[in-house]
Amino acid sequence: MLEILLNHYPVLIKGLTTTLVVSLSAIALGLVFGVLLAFGLTSRHRWVRWPCGLYRSFWRGTPILLQLLLVFYLLPEVGIEVAPITAAILTLTLNTTAFQSEIFRSGIAHIPAGQIEAARMAGISAWQTRRRIVMPQVFRLTLPPLTNEIITILKNSSLISVIAVTELMRVSEQIASRTFQPLETYLAAAVLYLAVNLVLAQISAHLERRLAGGLATE
Amino acid sequence: MPTADAITSPETTKRQTPSKPIVEARGIGKSFGELEVLSDIDFRLEPSEVVCVIGPSGSGKSTLLRCLAFLEPYDHGSVHIDGQLLGYEQRGGMRVRARESHIDAVRAPVGMVFQHFHLWPHRTALENVTEALRLVNRLSRRDAEAEGMAMLERVGLAERAGHFPESLSGGQKQRVAIARALAMQPRVMFFDEPTSALDPELVGEVLDVMKQLAHDGMTMAIVTHEMGFAAKVADRVVFMDQGRIVESGAPETLFRHPQSERLKQFLNTWRERHID
Repeated sequence: MLEILLNHYPVLIKGLTTTLVVSLSAIALGLVFGVLLAFGLTSRHRWVRWPCGLYRSFWRGTPILLQLLLVFYLLPEVGIEVAPITAAILTLTLNTTAFQSEIFRSGIAHIPAGQIEAARMAGISAWQTRRRIVMPQVFRLTLPPLTNEIITILKNSSLISVIAVTELMRVSEQIASRTFQPLETYLAAAVLYLAVNLVLAQISAHLERRLAGGLATE
Repeated sequence: MPTADAITSPETTKRQTPSKPIVEARGIGKSFGELEVLSDIDFRLEPSEVVCVIGPSGSGKSTLLRCLAFLEPYDHGSVHIDGQLLGYEQRGGMRVRARESHIDAVRAPVGMVFQHFHLWPHRTALENVTEALRLVNRLSRRDAEAEGMAMLERVGLAERAGHFPESLSGGQKQRVAIARALAMQPRVMFFDEPTSALDPELVGEVLDVMKQLAHDGMTMAIVTHEMGFAAKVADRVVFMDQGRIVESGAPETLFRHPQSERLKQFLNTWRERHID
């Protein structure tokens, strides 16, 4: 395994970089759209909640491999030509948006309604209340499940090799077929995935400790 | 421990001359599904008037206050704040819910204090007070903090400015909540059972702040179980039962000469519980 890592580290690092670019792009975009979708899911208007719920159910209820293939083959059908890596980022974003929105929705549900009423009575607008009162607490409350989702997306990114994106998994397959050392190669890939996820978990634990103050709900 | 006289000895000078009300509700009603919780309520609050709303649990007191603030939309009738209809507007000949920005604008003169404080736990005491000053009044951080400190001093909590709510006692939390509402310079304050969630020994510090506000001429509507406080501070007491206003009047009249059987029964129960 060590031999594989040492002999092939330039391509492995390149593959890992692609994995990180795709995953982190999807996670960052999913964060923005996930928050917006959570607002839609918690809207008091049924005509807003209903389509948001439909979106969440579809992207949460179908396999991510199927979603990848659908996006990859559907876009050219409607005249949109995109590179495989763009289709991969798009699919993972659409997928993680659904999961992150559900994480944020449960976080929003934990904020006592009275805090929002107090903000409204102080004249703070609905948007400012969400931005300044609700979401800072939601991010703190949902950091553990959010970390899980980030790790899941990073691992699920291995599936994008099926649409010919040369990320860590695909690079590993190529090395394995060239060297005839599949076990050592996949073990090396596992070590790299594990290392990145351990770093992410450490960052999350550090943030959780730092943000712990002032979280008691009444 | 309050005595029987505690609810029959008003200290404040009662106002007699009617003027233009700050808050005026006419015929408001509210139901939760099949359950009617408010029925045909008329309510007026004039400048510098202190009105205490008393009554048994479930009588609709808090719902009335929440409807007056449009935290609960009332089903029919009207609530006017400074002559402006709160919560609804006429569109195409129909009454429809007003835009949130319009609701905010109409109830801007109202500050509210809640039973469970509802401080924002991720903000310090000072930040709780300055948040709306910065977001709504657009004050600079320095000006907002100066104003916020003045408000915390007013409720005797300047030295706790940097503390998060989790490290404050219940009474201190409620005083911060009062400072937060006062910071927006309301013309009228609504208090929804402000001492009901407090340990008995912490009640006094909150009532003292409210007495001082009344003394300073603040217009207040207070839903409370503190009958002694109502007797001493209120200009008028409103007794509610089963979603209706049963009796209303000056505290000395209401507490000494209750007219309805229901109020007599309520006061007797209170006396038995607090004097025996």
